[in-house]
Amino acid sequence: MPRPLEPQHSPAFFVRGPSPFARLIFFAAVSLTLMATDSRLHYLVEVRQGFSALMHPLQVLANAPSDLMHDANEYLTTHSTLLKQNSRLTEQALLQSAELQRFRSLEQENEHLRNLLGAARNSPQNARLGEILHIGRDPFTHRVVINLGSRHEVIAGQAVIDADGVIGQVTRVYPFTSEVTLITDRELSVPIQVERNSLRAIAFGHGRDTMLDLPYLPANVDIRQGDRLVTSGIDGVYPMGLAVAVVVKVERNPNSPFAHIVCKPLAGIENHKQVLLLDMPKPEPVVNQKKTAASAATSASQKTPAPKTPTAPQ
Amino acid sequence: MRPNLSTIYLTLLAALLCQLLPWSGIALTMRPDFVLLVLLYWLLRAPHLCNIGTAWFAGLVIDLATGGLFGQAALAYALTAFFALIYQRRLTLFNIWQQAAYVFALLVFNQGTLLILKMFAGGESPGWGYFYPCITGIMLWLAVIFTRLGIQGHTDQD
Repeated sequence: MPRPLEPQHSPAFFVRGPSPFARLIFFAAVSLTLMATDSRLHYLVEVRQGFSALMHPLQVLANAPSDLMHDANEYLTTHSTLLKQNSRLTEQALLQSAELQRFRSLEQENEHLRNLLGAARNSPQNARLGEILHIGRDPFTHRVVINLGSRHEVIAGQAVIDADGVIGQVTRVYPFTSEVTLITDRELSVPIQVERNSLRAIAFGHGRDTMLDLPYLPANVDIRQGDRLVTSGIDGVYPMGLAVAVVVKVERNPNSPFAHIVCKPLAGIENHKQVLLLDMPKPEPVVNQKKTAASAATSASQKTPAPKTPTAPQ
Repeated sequence: MRPNLSTIYLTLLAALLCQLLPWSGIALTMRPDFVLLVLLYWLLRAPHLCNIGTAWFAGLVIDLATGGLFGQAALAYALTAFFALIYQRRLTLFNIWQQAAYVFALLVFNQGTLLILKMFAGGESPGWGYFYPCITGIMLWLAVIFTRLGIQGHTDQD
């Protein structure tokens, strides 16, 4: 005998669980909470690191085909190409070693003068070689991922350079990889100095293309097309004198109080796979006489410009 | 081929791998959203197995992989999945071109939602290139549909 209430409970024609709208509300609420937590409170850093370690094998798998192709290409490089490259590199090394010798003597002289002045010694920053694993997944943020992570004692904030200039800064560190925000990203700015007249300014990334802006400079500012911009070193992240960009366009609009200055970064992110990670400068410079090979490598790759009169702190 | 859960997760994993391939340059801006396409396919074909929750989790994985804001792609995917689901029963009666038009609208909607979320988080406004993945995505969709893997599946077609 059927129970009396049964006919009133008409079973659902399709068994679908909660309605799509209910599910949507639930998941939207969860993701809004996550987004707020991530962007405002920064609680999820560890969670992100943990998951990224889990994702690491997947990344390696996804990178495998192109790595294989790269290796095969390298294997099939012809004898003559290698010879040509070898002779070019030898020549380059010779030229650079001459420059390096001059640099050493200048550095010693500089140190001596600084000692005389009693000024703080510039401690050399060590550098480490990293490799770019891939360009960021999102084509509209300027980021690259490199193969050094917190396991290799990378910390967020380290400067990243290549042989031609500054690339950017480490912004996020995962266990095995870390994310480098390029100087062309809208969120990154670099304190710079015009090499010609030591004028200080701050360069901002454009975000949309691979250019840099020098905003908030008066229309009559002494910057010309072709000026080289180097880091000023007053931020405590980038050491002084690293090449950043070259000015490609200066527009002076009489209607605007500011000049519109566009610069092109010197570092070639697309061309190289290797980058150098500079250690964070220590708050108290340790007197360290022996210079490690790494620091020598850094100085060589920095291509320190012909020394202008160092602005001695008075 | 009768869809079951393991097929769905395997195809999603394959799509994720496609997404994680080291794309660069023009290919990166043209890269279709593989994961979303696979999700939409299963949402329209097997909504009892692949639902808004699946889409949300897939979005969360994408967020982790891209290093974007947590829950950004997850919210966009969940919203897109919602709009796919409310018309799902009607859509199976449409022909291939009508289905493709609706899927294209969903892809554009997903991209637009992501854009709005990014703007809120303080991103810059990209150009029209931001919507290229929708075009390549719908081409990929049509390519898959024309290889006789239609939404109606085995029951109606053969």
